[in-house]
Formats: sequence, structure tokens, C-alpha cells
Amino acid sequence: MQNTLLLTLLLPALAVPIVYVTGRKSSKAAAILLALIAIADIILLSTTVPYILDPATGYRYVESYSWIPVLNSTFALFVDGVSLSLALITLVLILTASLFSINYMQEKKGLAEYYALLTLLFIGLVGVFITSNLMLFYFCWELMLVPAYFIIGGWGYKEPYRAAFKFFIFTHAGAVFVLLGIGAIFMLTGSLDMFQAQTALMTAQPDIVKWILLSLTAGFAVKMAVVPVHMWLPDAHSEAPAPMSALLSGVIIGAGAYAILRVSLGTVFPAIMATDFAVQFLHGIAVLGVLSAFFGSLIALVENDIKRVIAYSSIAHMGYVLFGLSCFGLSLLFSAPSSQLFQVILAGTVLHLVNHAVSKGLFFLSAGAIMKQLEIRDIREMGGLAGQMPITATSSTIAALSIAGVPPFACFISEFLIFVGAFQVISSDGFYLLPTALMLVATVLSLAYALRYLSHVFLGPRKHEEAKEAPFFMKSAMLILAAFVIILGIYPTFFINLINTLSFV
Amino acid sequence: MLPYAPWLVWVAPVISCLFVPLIARLGRRARDYFVVLVSLATAAFALSMIPEVYFNTLSNAESDVAWIPSLGITTGVLIDPLSILFASLISFFSLIIIIYSLGYMAGEEGLTRYYFFMLLFMGSMIGLVMSDNFLQMFIFWEVVGLCSYSLVSFWYKKPEVVKAGSKVFLMTRVGDVCLLGAIALLYASLGSFSFSYTVLHIGEIPLSTLTAIAFLVLGGAVAKSAQLPLQTWLYSAMEAPTSVSALLHGATMVKAGVYLIARFFTLFALFPLVLPMIPFWLSFVAWIGAITALVGATMALYTPDIKGVPAYSTISQIGFMIAALGVASSPYSEGWFAGLFHMISHAFFQGLGFLTIGGIVHALGTRDMRQMGGLRKAMPITFALCLVVLFARTGIPPFASFFSKGLIISSLWSTGNLLLVLTIYAAAAVTFAYTLRFIILTFLRQPSECVKQSHVHEPPKIMLFASSILAILCFVWGFLANSIAQFMQVNVQFGIGEVFSSSTLIFLLILLIGGIPVYLFYYRKPRLMEIVIRSLAPLNIVLEHNYFFDDLYEKVVARGIVKISNGFEYFEDLILSRLPYFAAKGVTALAQSTHKYFDILIDELLYVAANKTVAYSSKLGKTHNESLQRYVVAALLGLLTLIILVIVTMLRVK
Repeated sequence: MQNTLLLTLLLPALAVPIVYVTGRKSSKAAAILLALIAIADIILLSTTVPYILDPATGYRYVESYSWIPVLNSTFALFVDGVSLSLALITLVLILTASLFSINYMQEKKGLAEYYALLTLLFIGLVGVFITSNLMLFYFCWELMLVPAYFIIGGWGYKEPYRAAFKFFIFTHAGAVFVLLGIGAIFMLTGSLDMFQAQTALMTAQPDIVKWILLSLTAGFAVKMAVVPVHMWLPDAHSEAPAPMSALLSGVIIGAGAYAILRVSLGTVFPAIMATDFAVQFLHGIAVLGVLSAFFGSLIALVENDIKRVIAYSSIAHMGYVLFGLSCFGLSLLFSAPSSQLFQVILAGTVLHLVNHAVSKGLFFLSAGAIMKQLEIRDIREMGGLAGQMPITATSSTIAALSIAGVPPFACFISEFLIFVGAFQVISSDGFYLLPTALMLVATVLSLAYALRYLSHVFLGPRKHEEAKEAPFFMKSAMLILAAFVIILGIYPTFFINLINTLSFV
Repeated sequence: MLPYAPWLVWVAPVISCLFVPLIARLGRRARDYFVVLVSLATAAFALSMIPEVYFNTLSNAESDVAWIPSLGITTGVLIDPLSILFASLISFFSLIIIIYSLGYMAGEEGLTRYYFFMLLFMGSMIGLVMSDNFLQMFIFWEVVGLCSYSLVSFWYKKPEVVKAGSKVFLMTRVGDVCLLGAIALLYASLGSFSFSYTVLHIGEIPLSTLTAIAFLVLGGAVAKSAQLPLQTWLYSAMEAPTSVSALLHGATMVKAGVYLIARFFTLFALFPLVLPMIPFWLSFVAWIGAITALVGATMALYTPDIKGVPAYSTISQIGFMIAALGVASSPYSEGWFAGLFHMISHAFFQGLGFLTIGGIVHALGTRDMRQMGGLRKAMPITFALCLVVLFARTGIPPFASFFSKGLIISSLWSTGNLLLVLTIYAAAAVTFAYTLRFIILTFLRQPSECVKQSHVHEPPKIMLFASSILAILCFVWGFLANSIAQFMQVNVQFGIGEVFSSSTLIFLLILLIGGIPVYLFYYRKPRLMEIVIRSLAPLNIVLEHNYFFDDLYEKVVARGIVKISNGFEYFEDLILSRLPYFAAKGVTALAQSTHKYFDILIDELLYVAANKTVAYSSKLGKTHNESLQRYVVAALLGLLTLIILVIVTMLRVK
């Protein structure tokens, strides 16, 4: 089909008013409509898989449209293996978040606006992954931000607007750096397409490209919430309503990492690969990655608010991804795309984004289920819930163990591949020995906070007799994600095949 | 062998565990029968592979299936004596434990979860030993740890059980992380996870990398097999039901480390000289084993907890195995076989030890041996079984452990390291001592108050049945020693001469050195025992605190990490999360001062300028008529200034 990708974006765009109107009649219908749109988009995107796996098309599926004919400008939508994997998992998360919202948001007001805002967010979330036009990319980047602000502020917990405002200002400030970078690229190359810009930047002055790289990466890092620009995440993720937290932690920070991969490393980095700065840059982001992993894991170990534990765990995992991206950058410098190092580290990093998205989504949704049953948020006051809510307990355990990197759940295989890639990188660049060893230690810490969470919340003597199992839609949403976590852990091959088609030529 | 046996032996239990919750809906009986059936089938699959390996008529030793083709990762099975030995032990032992559980766990709630994890454990442990590549082995290694956590936390409503479960999982995770590093390093050097590929190419790895890999492997083994310094979790794991303790922490999971080191040895089959060249590694292995053997034995001698005796005994006996591996310089050698043979004998006697204790604790309701005594009249069969444990654990012929311990000691002698041999002899003496102490405290002496008050009776027949099978095996196994040696393709022979030799005499003498004091003190003169203990106060304190390892890990390491985390959190709350507010305050202050000083100032200036202009022009308007002279003077002055300026400029230009 010729217009698959455009349709993928148009469907939610056109649906916004329909969802709003439906929502005024029945919020359940609006949620189901949103879920159906997500499923439709999954089907649409899946039709591009044969193109992506076909070497003849350069492992890509591209659609090009003219935008403002007078200015001779076009915009292109495209998917390749990495984009598709992330877009598909985003759609799964949107699907489960809307199903979850049916029960979770039941007693709240203004649900028509809520679902309409979710649909707007939908456009942004998917658009970021399927466009190669930098302006459209930036538009969707900001589109991820604005509806999120309103959702957090309108339906969040204590002082929601303060948290939402912090979130907005922070990520928007980061987005300014992104805009600067994009503007600079346009001025240097006259093109706003990622692929054209990449070739054009090769002939530009390395000094300026250096600054573009730094500016873009700084902006993306803010969205990705790595130390030291992570401050918005704990408040935003813990004060947001649970479905929004799932989307924030699963998809939005993953979009930051994807942007570093696609724009920083894919578009700008090849231009300066020959300089010393390239290696220094990669070392720098490796250090930030290790710092985030430790910082997040250690604080998650002592946090007592149920959602803040999970929020800091997200910071830790983005540290892992950043570390993986750094090793990936090094593999770009030292080896060819067909080499094992490149394949392994790329598979590990992007698969970790996918796996983390489902695991974290499940984690936040199950925490939301618990919060809905008990009105308390301090894990020290909880206990013994395993017998009272078995499905929530099982889902939460699956999520927590996946986050800790225990097989047969999803995040194990991706973390393992990142480590394997990191050890391979050590033979080319000895700098990575200490960071890799430290990351191994951080893996023990992640199990520590996962077990602490489970011990406090689900095990031990019963403290709250009134808690019972979550209602139907919440249960189904959690079970869908739990199934994904297990399937991705046992059979990651489908996504790895897609991801490994990436090449930056 | 049965069709697809190498695959089904682990796939069947793993898949079946998913059906347990479904079948449990049909009723308890259905579920129990299902679990027993699956265990039976698994044992059948495992044992069916023995003949072909024994007679060396295997058609293909390895088969694999692509899992992640683009990265060259496969799932596969390896059939060699080592893997079949372990697989048979695990499946058979699991069957015995499942039968025991039918009686022991009857009436407990949450049994569906119990059997789910028992089957998953069975499948994963067998999968671990049958794997043909490191990644698969590691996945099962971790899943086994997960099952251990779940089963230890079975009675999760008790806080101490929850704490014990987390401790078990975390401590073994430290080892898992070491093993992860080793496997990743191996892959980075060779490009493949497969055992057969590694065997062909391991000599190509530079010695420095190989040293790192070897020590990381040792780290993994030490954690999983509860050796010093990571041995403290095994006692905590005694919070689990006794059947779980017998299976996981007595017979199978803790042997995973022994398997790992034995398998690591076999990787050097084509490069036998490389292994001894790794600096310090073999001596580390031997000494860790020997010291653990002695330390574990002393802790078993001290503990008042009846479950502590087999727990610390396991730590000690695995120390024997690891020491034996440490003095083997190549695979398929005497020491290598000694460790593995002792592993199986140990599984039988220690399993029997756990199972009998389960019956005792069940009857009395207490785990404190000081409150027991005189049980031999009330539980004669259990007493007889425990006597079997005494003889088997100590190593009295014709029990199998006589041959295995004898082989271990003789391979230690062959290194010429006298200190090592003395340590092991000491451990053997203390082994006899603590087992004798256990028998005296529990069965001999006068019946205690607790015993008189409880309605003490033998455990249910099904539990006795399971225990008896193990007892018979303890006895019979010794006669199979030569067959086992042939099975493992090792050049070792046992004969009657072993039994009546001078080394046996030395051994028995040493046992008496350990045993007689215990007999005297615990049986004859218990008061004297108390005086002796008081006089050895410093030793007492060390033993009471388990050599301070628990204190080290809980007070120093764990609290240290929590303090660091608290520090980070404080830093985050105080500074980092406030940074945006500082920035916001700064911006707001700037905006306000701009408003105050700039906006308002300019407004004021304009106002002032406007007023001044108006005032001046009105003033000007008033002086219009009277100042013609003033105008002329002003004009003349201006003209004069202009002339002076022009002259000055002209002078300067010159």
C-alpha cells in the first residue's frame, strides 16, 4: 500500500474530535475506540515488514510527499527495523494504557478531554519514530510534550500542576537545544531530511558539526532523563496517573534514546568519525550512562513511595541504554555493519528499549492497580498483598524481575547482549573496562531494589484486609503486557531480525 | 534411549509446570498425580540415556536449533558423561522429593505454586547441565536461582522468610554477575557461546584474559555452591520447607557450582597444559574448598538448629568436592572424578539427612536440638535411617562416601601439600564429630520435656518410603563405584584393597580423634562440656557469630550501600531537584529587576524628559522679550567657540 505510514498518522489525527465526542457520551467507548485505532495502526505498520527485511529496498520503507510545492519542500515518512520495532511496542503500550484507563480513571471527571489528549499524544508518539524529516520530527517531539502536560496536571496526584510544569519546562528547554541543532543542520546543509543531511554534513566543517552533535545530544538526553538532567522524571512519573506513567516511562524516554541513535549517531556523528572528538564524546556518554545506572539503582533502593521507586528505576535503565549507545558508537568507529560486534550491540541496545518499554509499562500499571485498591503510596505500609490480588502480584513480579534482568523475562536477553557487546568493545578500547565492571555491579543493585519492592508490597503479613483483585480491564491490560514480557524473553528473534537490518550508510 | 530424550528431559518439566495451575483446577489429586507423572517421565528420559553413554554407542553427542540466527545463538543439548551423570541424579532425586512432598506438604496452602516451581526447577536444573552453550547454561543458572527464591519464600507470610529469600537471591546474584562477565569475556575472545567451539579454540585466548575468565567462573561457582566467602545464604535458605532444602540446597542446585568447575575443566581437554598455567587459580580452588570444608564442619558442630547440621554439612562436603577439583590438573583425572563421585554420594546421604530431619521437626514442632533427646524409642526407623546418615556421611566402608572421600584424600596426598591434607583430615574428623553430636542430642540421652509432651510418632509411610530408597542407595552405591568410573571415562579402580589398607587405618584413627571427645562430652559428661565451652570463650564468640560473615555482609556491606544510597537521595532532594527552582528563581528575579530597573526607569526617563521639555519651553516662552542682548551674547560666544575649535583642529592636523 502506498500511503500506509501517512494513514498511520492520519488515523489518530482525524480521530481526535471523534474520540472527544464519543467520550462525552461514554468514556469506555472512547477508550475502546482508541484501543481499536492502536490495533489498526499495528496492522498497518506490520504490512511494512516485508519491505524492511528485503535488502533490495535498502532495508527501509519510505514514503515521500510534497508539502509546500512553492518552496519545493517535501517531507518523507519512513520505517526501518529499529523504527518499526519501537513504533510497534509504542502502539502496544498505548493499547494497554487505554484499556487500563477504563477502570482506572472511572471516578475521575472530564474523561472526554482525557481520551482526546491521549489521542493527540498518540500522534506524537508514533510520529517521532516514523519520520525522516527533521521538522516533522521536532513537531512530533513537542507533540509528545503538550498533551502530557495537561494529562499530568489535570488527572495527577498531589500538586500535579507543579510536577507537570517542571516536566514541561525541563523537556522544553531540552527541545530548544534540539531546535538549535536542527536549525544549524538546515543552515549548513540546506536540507531537513535525515538521510540527505547525513551525506551533506560529511563535507561540513568538523568544528561546527561537533557543536551540533553536543547540542542535539544534550536536548535528547533531557528527554531521556539521564543524570544530570533527570530531575523532572521522579515527580512527573510519580504524580502522573498510572497509564500516563506507563507511557512516559516506557515510550517517551525511549524516544529520547531513539533520537540519540537516529539523529545524533545516525545523522550527525558519521561526519566527525575521523576526529578525536568522536571517541571523547562516546566516552562522555558512557560515563553519564554508568552514573545514571548507579544513581537510579541506589536511590530506588531507599525510596519509599511506590511510584518513585519505579521512576528511579527508569533512570537506571536509561543509563544502561546510554551505555549501550556509547558502545554502539564505538562499534561504528571500529567495525563494519556486518561484524558481530555491531550486530550484537545494536540488537542489545534497541531490544532493551523495546523490552524496557513493556516491562516498565507493566510495572507502572500494576503499581497503579495497587494504588487504586489501597489509597496509600508508602511501600512500608503495604504487605501481604500477594494472596489478595494474585494477578496483580504475578504481573508485578514478572515486571520487577524483568527489570532486574532475570531470565526468562524480557530485559535479561537485552542486558546480556549489551554486556557481551561491551566486553567486545573493551578489546578495541580499554577505557570501557571500568564502566563495564561497574555496570555489572549495578545489575546486582537492580535485583536488590526489585526484591525490596516485592518484599514490602506483596510478601510478609497482611496489613490491609480490604484489598482485592483489580477489575477486568486493568487485569487484561496487565496480562497483555505480561505475555509480551515473557514472549520477548523467550523469543526475541523477531525483533532482533528487524533491528539488525539497520545500517547507517 | 527414548526418542528425543535429550530434549524432552528438560523441555517436558519446564512446559509441564505451566499446566500445573490449570490441572489444579480439576482438584488436588489430579495435580499431585500429574506432577508425579511428569517427574517419573523425566527420570525415565534421563536414565534412558545412560546405556548409550556407558557403552559409547552414541550416534551424535550434540544437537542444536537456531534461536537468534542473526547473532549465531542456538539452543542445544550436549550428551556426555558429565551431563548425563548430573541429569540422572537431578531427575531421580527430584522424583524422590516429589514423592516425599506428597506426605510432607500435605495440607499446606499454596501447593499449586509449590509444585509449579518444583517442576520449573527440575526442568531448569536439568536444562542447565544438558546445555551445549554458555548462554543457555547461564539462562538456566539464573532461572534456578529464581526458583530457589520462590521456594525459599514459600511461607511468605513470615517476615523472616521474606528476608531469607531476598538474601538467598541477592547473594547468588553476585555470583551470577561474575559468571556473566566470564561468559561475555569468553564470547568476546572467541565469538561463540558453544562448548564444542570453545574446546577447539580455548588455547588461543591470551593468558591474561583466560585468568580473568577463570577467576570469574570461580566467583560464580563459589556463590552458587555456598563456599567461603559467600556461604552465609545457605543457612538462611533453611527457612524453606525441608523437601525444598533437600532438593535444592542439599542435592542439586548447590552442586551447580561443582558442575560449572567440572565443565570448565573439560573445556581444556585439547589443551591440558593451559589450565595449570593460569596463575594461582588451581590453588585458589583447592584452598577455598579445604578451608570451607573445615569452617563448615565447625559451624555444624556448634549449631543448635537441627536443620543447621545438614546445611553446614553441605557447605563442608561441597568444600571437599571443590578441593578435589582444585588438585586435579586436567579433566578426567583422579581429582576431577573424586569430586564428582563424592557429589553423588553426598546427594544421597545429605538428602537422607534432610528428609529424616523433616520428619523429626514435623513431629516435635521445634528445630532446637537442645530440647530434643531420647527419640530412639519413639522413632526407631528414623533412628536407623540417621545411623545410615552417620556412617555414610563420615565415610565408613562399604558406604560410597568411603570410596569418594578416600579418593579425594589420596588425590590431595599426591600434591604433596601437607597443610592441605591436614585441613581435609581435620574436616573429616569434625564431620564425624558433628554427626555423632546430632545423633546423641536428638536420639540418645534421656527424653526431654518437649519430647515427653509431644505426641511423637514416625512420619507418614510415604515419607519413610522416600527416605528408605535413599538409604538403600547410600549403601549400594559404593559397590557401583567402578562402574561409575568407567561411565565417566576415568582411569580409576576401586577394590577390596582400598578397604583394608593403611590409609583407611589412618582415616579411622583421625575419625576417632574427632569422635571420642564428642561422645564423652555430649553423652557422658554434659556438664563438663559446658565448662569447656566457657573456657574457650573467644572461639565460642567466633562460632556464635558464624565467623562474622553475616555481620560483615549485613552490617558493613548492606548498610554501607544503604547509607550511600541515602546520601545520594539527600543530595538529590537537597540540591539536584532544587536546581530547576534555583534556575526558575534566578530567571524570575532577573525578570523582576528588569521590570523594575529597566522598564520603569525608561518610563520615568521619558516622563522626566517630557516634563523637562515642557518646563523648559514654557520658561523659554517667558524670557522671549527681555533677552535680545542675551541672544547676541550667546551667539557671539558660540561663534567664538567655533573659531577656537577650528583653529585648534587646524593646528592639530598640521
